[in-house]
Amino acid sequence: MNGHLTSAMLSALADGELSMPELAQANEHLSGCSVCTANALNLSLLKSATAKAGHRFALPADLQERVMRPAGERKATSGRSTGWFGMVGWAAAAVLLLAFATTMLVQRSGRRADIASVEEGALVTEVFDQHVAALAGSLPPQVLSTDRHTVKPWFQGKIPFSFNLPEGLPKDVTLEGANLTYLNDQPVAQLLYSIGRHRVSVFMREKPPAAAVRSFEADHAGFHVMVFSSGDLEMAAVSDVDPARLAELVNLIRKAQTGDATPRTGS
Amino acid sequence: MTLLSWKRAARESVPQTEGFGDLALPFLPGLYNVATWLARNPVDAEDLVQETMLKALRGFASFEAGTNFKAWIFRILRNTYLTSRTGLAAKRTVALEDELGENESGGAVYPEAAIDRETPEMNLIRLSDRAAVQSAMETLPPPLLEVILLCDVEEMKYKEIASVLEIPIGTVMSRVARARAALRLALVGGATRESRA
Repeated sequence: MNGHLTSAMLSALADGELSMPELAQANEHLSGCSVCTANALNLSLLKSATAKAGHRFALPADLQERVMRPAGERKATSGRSTGWFGMVGWAAAAVLLLAFATTMLVQRSGRRADIASVEEGALVTEVFDQHVAALAGSLPPQVLSTDRHTVKPWFQGKIPFSFNLPEGLPKDVTLEGANLTYLNDQPVAQLLYSIGRHRVSVFMREKPPAAAVRSFEADHAGFHVMVFSSGDLEMAAVSDVDPARLAELVNLIRKAQTGDATPRTGS
Repeated sequence: MTLLSWKRAARESVPQTEGFGDLALPFLPGLYNVATWLARNPVDAEDLVQETMLKALRGFASFEAGTNFKAWIFRILRNTYLTSRTGLAAKRTVALEDELGENESGGAVYPEAAIDRETPEMNLIRLSDRAAVQSAMETLPPPLLEVILLCDVEEMKYKEIASVLEIPIGTVMSRVARARAALRLALVGGATRESRA
């Protein structure tokens, strides 16, 4: 391919809209072009930021009732009759009302589940984006050290919480450094590990006071994401390493937070 | 049983609304969000959503079951917006398709130099608050804003967007690219203004 990828090509790539031949062509170009790779990443981050910022206006509480009223009135008018048929109509209406109430209850619980799954999906996408950006960036981590006594104190005054880092890591697991980053406008510690040749990002943030304790796993674009909580912290680990190896590191980090390994204060 | 012609006519005139609520309700928050972005005020947005739902209810019989209801109802919203007071005002003040430099081939419309090659923009997007992105979105002309809302916020595929906006897929592709280039410029411009202040 001559020159760089067009802005439309890059946008379509971010939107997952390229055909297989186009995708292969784009990937081939990206593998040798740092300018287009940086642009592609920028567009992915922009898409993610726009998606979040675009959900801006919440539906007023009474609007649903107002807009659905014509449908209800129309149904009622079309079913109107007199005498015996009227009685049957009222009975049917009562049955419908019961059915409607049951449906609303089911829908409400379903909606809560939907919201939770949307939030989980957004978190997975966001940590994936941040991890890929860290992998692709030519800049070293903001704190470059394999020493947990250097990495942890670096965050003092930068984030409104503290955390522990595990000691006694398995032989091929190394702490590479860390970044201060943001997830959903919240400051987050991004710890960078390597397991063999695979890179791992572990994001740590303070759990919002009213938030439920979450623990789930997901796969996204060949990467495995594990979200887990410990005390007041919520953490998300992402990597393309074998999920069992990732789980091993996650368990060590989780144990470190409970105070088994190291004290919570100090480094 | 054979019905008398006037009875048959009466029965046929009753609009088919069965199942409308089940299909429409899940899209109501999204419709209101997009309507408020386009109308730029909540009162007009509520009117827009109410009129959309009324039109959708009236025309529900023409909706083919099994086809894309989301694209169908968003198309009604968009057409209702275009004929609304704010939509007509936007039409008069916003550059027309040709003036926007529509490029059906999907090639670069903005000069390559307009696309920042440096990492500060990436950092800006990563670090900037939601309000900065919202301000940048507010600067987009309606044809670009609506395409970015459908693509990024409503997560529609290009094919669905083409169906909502009644334009070719190539135009969707170039419009999305131009919207993003404009957003990037607006974000960089906003950051530059803040650093100068």
